[in-house]
Amino acid sequence: MRRAPELLVIWGPLLLAAAHIVVFTAWTVWISFTASTLMPVSEFVGLRNYSSVLATRNWKIAFDNLIVFGGGFVAFTMFTGLLLAILIDQRIRGENVLRSIFLYPMAVSFVVTGVVWSWLLNPGMGVQKLVNDLGWAGFRFDWITDREMAIWTIVLAGVWQAAGFAMALLLAGLRSVEPDLIKAAQIDGAGPLRMYTRVILPTLWPIMVAVLVILLQMAITTFDLVRALTGGGPGIATQLPALVVYDFMFQRGQIGRGAAAAVLMFLTLLGVLLPHALFKYARRRRAADA
Amino acid sequence: MASIRRRSVLAGAVGLMAAPLAARAQAAKPRLTVISQWSAGSDGAAITALGKKFEERGGVWQHSPVPGFTTDMMNKLRAQIIAGDPPACSQLKGPEIAAWSKIAPTVNLDAIVAAAGYEKVVAPDLARLHKPGGKWSALPLQVYRTNTLFLSKRAMDKAKADKIPTTWAQFNELAEKMKAAGVAHPVANGGTRADDGQKFEAVLAGLNPAVYRKAIMELDEKALGGPEVRAAFAQLRKIADWMDPNTAAQHFSVFLPRFVAGEMGMLIQGGWAQGVLLNGGFKLDDFIIAPGPTENGKPVFVLNADAFIFWQSKQADLQAGQKLMAELVMMPENQTMYSQITGSIPVRTDVDLSGAGWSAGQVEAARTLKEAVAVNQSVLSLAHNMAQENGMTAAMIDVLTEFVKNKAITPDQAVKRLVEAVASAR
Repeated sequence: MRRAPELLVIWGPLLLAAAHIVVFTAWTVWISFTASTLMPVSEFVGLRNYSSVLATRNWKIAFDNLIVFGGGFVAFTMFTGLLLAILIDQRIRGENVLRSIFLYPMAVSFVVTGVVWSWLLNPGMGVQKLVNDLGWAGFRFDWITDREMAIWTIVLAGVWQAAGFAMALLLAGLRSVEPDLIKAAQIDGAGPLRMYTRVILPTLWPIMVAVLVILLQMAITTFDLVRALTGGGPGIATQLPALVVYDFMFQRGQIGRGAAAAVLMFLTLLGVLLPHALFKYARRRRAADA
Repeated sequence: MASIRRRSVLAGAVGLMAAPLAARAQAAKPRLTVISQWSAGSDGAAITALGKKFEERGGVWQHSPVPGFTTDMMNKLRAQIIAGDPPACSQLKGPEIAAWSKIAPTVNLDAIVAAAGYEKVVAPDLARLHKPGGKWSALPLQVYRTNTLFLSKRAMDKAKADKIPTTWAQFNELAEKMKAAGVAHPVANGGTRADDGQKFEAVLAGLNPAVYRKAIMELDEKALGGPEVRAAFAQLRKIADWMDPNTAAQHFSVFLPRFVAGEMGMLIQGGWAQGVLLNGGFKLDDFIIAPGPTENGKPVFVLNADAFIFWQSKQADLQAGQKLMAELVMMPENQTMYSQITGSIPVRTDVDLSGAGWSAGQVEAARTLKEAVAVNQSVLSLAHNMAQENGMTAAMIDVLTEFVKNKAITPDQAVKRLVEAVASAR
């Protein structure tokens, strides 16, 4: 009699959620092979949507931007988060206050971040104008209007938002390192740098991987930040795959092409996660064999 | 004691649930649920005024505006149609009317239009767009010209110029003069996609409206890859160089104060800019309205028209509301009131524009429309979703906006990309 409620409460919602994800993903994949425009239809057209999406400049630029933005965002956020975590770990006064301050940006929605940073980065009214007015007339900080550099403004805003989050997780990891390990290292005469690079960071590795995966997922699905900050501009220089999907599906009324772009995004994500999963599997096999 | 309370609560709840049904059963009072993109500014004021007229005739006006560009409103419309609950009336325009009337049933307006004699007073090109399959499904409300030239009085004074440019060569000369006289940016603009698109269409239609018709409206490949389109890109590059590079996807209204103050000289916008300028507190004396430059001396009118489409509903009060709205939209007094607020010109060709409340620009635009139709030089706007459906428009505007923002793209490359974009978006 006790099994039935357990089954219902745990397995019921779990199966529902799993079915929800699987069914709708399968439906999206199906739609990407049809000639759907304003409404879904079932006319099969093979790979036409895919070749059409891959041929648009929108997608090519979005893909390049994904690599630049994804790499930059993850790398800089991890670096900044780790630096902040190490600095806060030094038993400073006001640690709680500082931790809250650094974590605050995460509480702000990406849209608000995008809008405010778009004002700050606007050469005519933001940081550039401030520094120019202060006297450095030759100072330029107009990345947001520069086609090559605009993607880095998105990285900047993204790092500002997520660094506190990375810091919080990494700080928890730092604090969970066994004190015996540190004492042993100190006895062996390791200085602080050695201690961090040889002892603490290696034990932190699993948490860093977890943070990496979360940040990567954030980077790949970034939509509202780019919409609010640059609107995909200047021109189409800061397009990202999520924006291309939205564009096709809702702005252009081409659901089939939008679904194809979404599936391509999914394949990109798989392309990153699969090698990682295989690597972990291989490591576990090697550990089991050893 | 407890059981009596529970029963009365249940009875009260049932009674409450029945109340709206009872209310709806009594009233065939005309009611209208409308969605549009006109949430603020002069557009918002105009549709609110139309709503007041609706309420004066005893109707219930329920307007839910969706702020943003037209596509944002269309997303909401699609969501409501898919949910099986379309609004009684919505804004829609251009070829989308034909496309959307296939996905959900619309009210056949033939009888109402015939009763009002509306078809006789609407330009044939325009009427065709609103009669997919030969039946009236949508009613055009106002017409804008997108290739309108606005000149800042103060910038003109700075440059000591008093001649309004009528060809693109004269436009270029005036821009050079303004730049030399200290006007920082001879061309004012926003950074939005529609802005970049409408500059291109103003240039191409001005250079050669026949090629515009073949290339942009009929998507003829030879015309798209031809020398006239290349020349249009070259002129667009000149215009882009005169714009402020710091505009990052902002609406053109953000720069109007600088335009009026004389820091920016000329504005290539649609007629609605008049409404936006007046609504922003500026006076008609601050700027001059002129037709966009054309090369062959005959007037060219790049057309953008807003319309209302009516979605079939089973509810009697909504049906009554739709009839009332259709009648109101076709009446000359309401079109006059609407156009005077927004800066457009009325759809009806028999409206007299000699009274007060019309700017010189509007009178001139209406006259230009008549003349352009007479010489077959009235074409449909690309940037405002009149010439092509959204998907094709967006693909072409991608190329145009990239060209405007990226100085490294040459006109030849741009032409090639335009042809490729059209081919892949078909």
